[in-house]
Amino acid sequence: MFSLTLQERRVILFLISVALTGIGIDFLVKKYSRTKIIADFYQDIGKINLNSADKDTLMSISGIGEKLAVRILEYRSQKGGFHDLEELKNIKSITNYRYEKIKDSLCIK
Amino acid sequence: MQRPLAVLTFFFCLGIFVSSQISSSFLLAYALAVIFFSASLFSFKKGLVFNIFLFCLVFLLGSAVLKNSGTLPRCHIFNYVSYQHNQPYMIRGFIANEPQVKFRRTAFIFKAQEIQTANLHHRCCGDILVYAKSTKGLSYGEELILKGNLSKYIGLQQSYRNYLHNQGIFLVMRIKNAADIVRLNKNKGFVLEIFALWLKKKMEGIISKYIPSPAAGVLEAMILGERKNVGGFINNAMIKSGTVHILVVSGFNTGLVALIIILILKLLRFSKKARFYIAVPLLLLYCLLTGASNPVVRATIMTILYLFAYFVKSEPDIYQSFAIAALVILGINPRQLFDVGFQLSFMSVFSIVFLYPRLKSFLGLNFLKNKSLRFIADNFLVSFSAWIGTCAFVAYYFKIFSPVTVLANMLIVPLATLITLCGFSLIIFAFLFPPLAPFFASSSTLAVALLLHINSFLISIPAAYFYLT
Repeated sequence: MFSLTLQERRVILFLISVALTGIGIDFLVKKYSRTKIIADFYQDIGKINLNSADKDTLMSISGIGEKLAVRILEYRSQKGGFHDLEELKNIKSITNYRYEKIKDSLCIK
Repeated sequence: MQRPLAVLTFFFCLGIFVSSQISSSFLLAYALAVIFFSASLFSFKKGLVFNIFLFCLVFLLGSAVLKNSGTLPRCHIFNYVSYQHNQPYMIRGFIANEPQVKFRRTAFIFKAQEIQTANLHHRCCGDILVYAKSTKGLSYGEELILKGNLSKYIGLQQSYRNYLHNQGIFLVMRIKNAADIVRLNKNKGFVLEIFALWLKKKMEGIISKYIPSPAAGVLEAMILGERKNVGGFINNAMIKSGTVHILVVSGFNTGLVALIIILILKLLRFSKKARFYIAVPLLLLYCLLTGASNPVVRATIMTILYLFAYFVKSEPDIYQSFAIAALVILGINPRQLFDVGFQLSFMSVFSIVFLYPRLKSFLGLNFLKNKSLRFIADNFLVSFSAWIGTCAFVAYYFKIFSPVTVLANMLIVPLATLITLCGFSLIIFAFLFPPLAPFFASSSTLAVALLLHINSFLISIPAAYFYLT
């Protein structure tokens, strides 16, 4: 009636383990989303820290060329760092459209 | 010859390579091939002499195939383009791939069927690359009339020019106004590909619905071969660690898809015969869905041959299936031999298949009793074999040498396997039981986040990678 081969057991257990891990993470993220370690782990993955990136790193973002990367670095050294991503709009040639395009690739730490 | 196809494929590839380095005509290669064919017929019953003639024949066949591929048909669009002609061209045809949209610009390959020059219409053939500004909603197979100037690769990087040349695309059209594109509201695409791309859009929709960016972009790249949402920073970081291969659909993904299909069909109690007949079309669909790149075509052919061998209960030979895959790809377009994707894909698999068992027996790992140690050692040797086979190519093409690659692949490839399995589980559950999908999405996001953090850590190790100037 209910006989599973070893391979089938593996598949079922794999799916259950993924779902189980997912439920656990879902709970953790909902409950502790403001905890720094969770926020750092999830929200900033694959993002470039605007306060430490060098010119080449900034240029790896599509929408930032050499000139703009230099302007960002100049602004950062003048102001002693970024405190909010919105400050990017103060830099010449960063329009609202460009800001929307690049903001998901950047973070501030 | 224990593996005749593998040896013959080697001589075929050698013929293509040598022919690309010397300037000889198609007729010379063809005439010599005919002579060696006759010689092979006359020495049919002589062992060694026949083999030598056969090798020469296959070598010349490779050479003739390459020279023939460089000869454009009379109706090719390239033959209608004149540099004295300053007026824009009007071309009718259809979109031959999925249009890529980036920064208000759409890029696609256009199959030309008719060209208008100086009020004369000519039937034509051949593909062109089109860049169109301010155009939305174009799709694969759509029939269009385009108006614009045609040029030969102006403003493109050398590596991209080589890629286009190998794909048989010699002209670029740039369209600045949306009014220069007339949409004829007809679809001339291949039905199976239209379905595959529709399915791909659905899958992309699921991934972006349940998984936040940029993890969604990484997952899309890993299971659908769609890299448009992978940030340049992530891409560069993966190149530095030598693990960028996981961001494209490769043989590894195709093998996993085959495994998932077979396991699901087994769970549903399908017979062995039914499993084979269902799995083959699904694998072909996956190949189309991911853009039928060289690594996927290679892996699809090899997987189908493996399934066939399993189906007819014979022992599959990896070198033979490897050779068949290469012959199919090079038979269609011999210039693929010079494509970086083709070279990396075949070299990595070849070095794993060739080096790994030899290294394993040389180091005596078969006698290792501890299972965990054996797993780690196996993992290291597979990663090391692939690195040995590809590091020269990576250094040549990407100007980077990454000693961290072996360690990175040991850690990242198992994680990528897990991500791929989680991603496919997410898609299947989102289709069948949507309430369960968020849990699979959470696991996938965690795995992607872990992968990116491990990668960031690895490239921050001193001497992890060097740029070669």
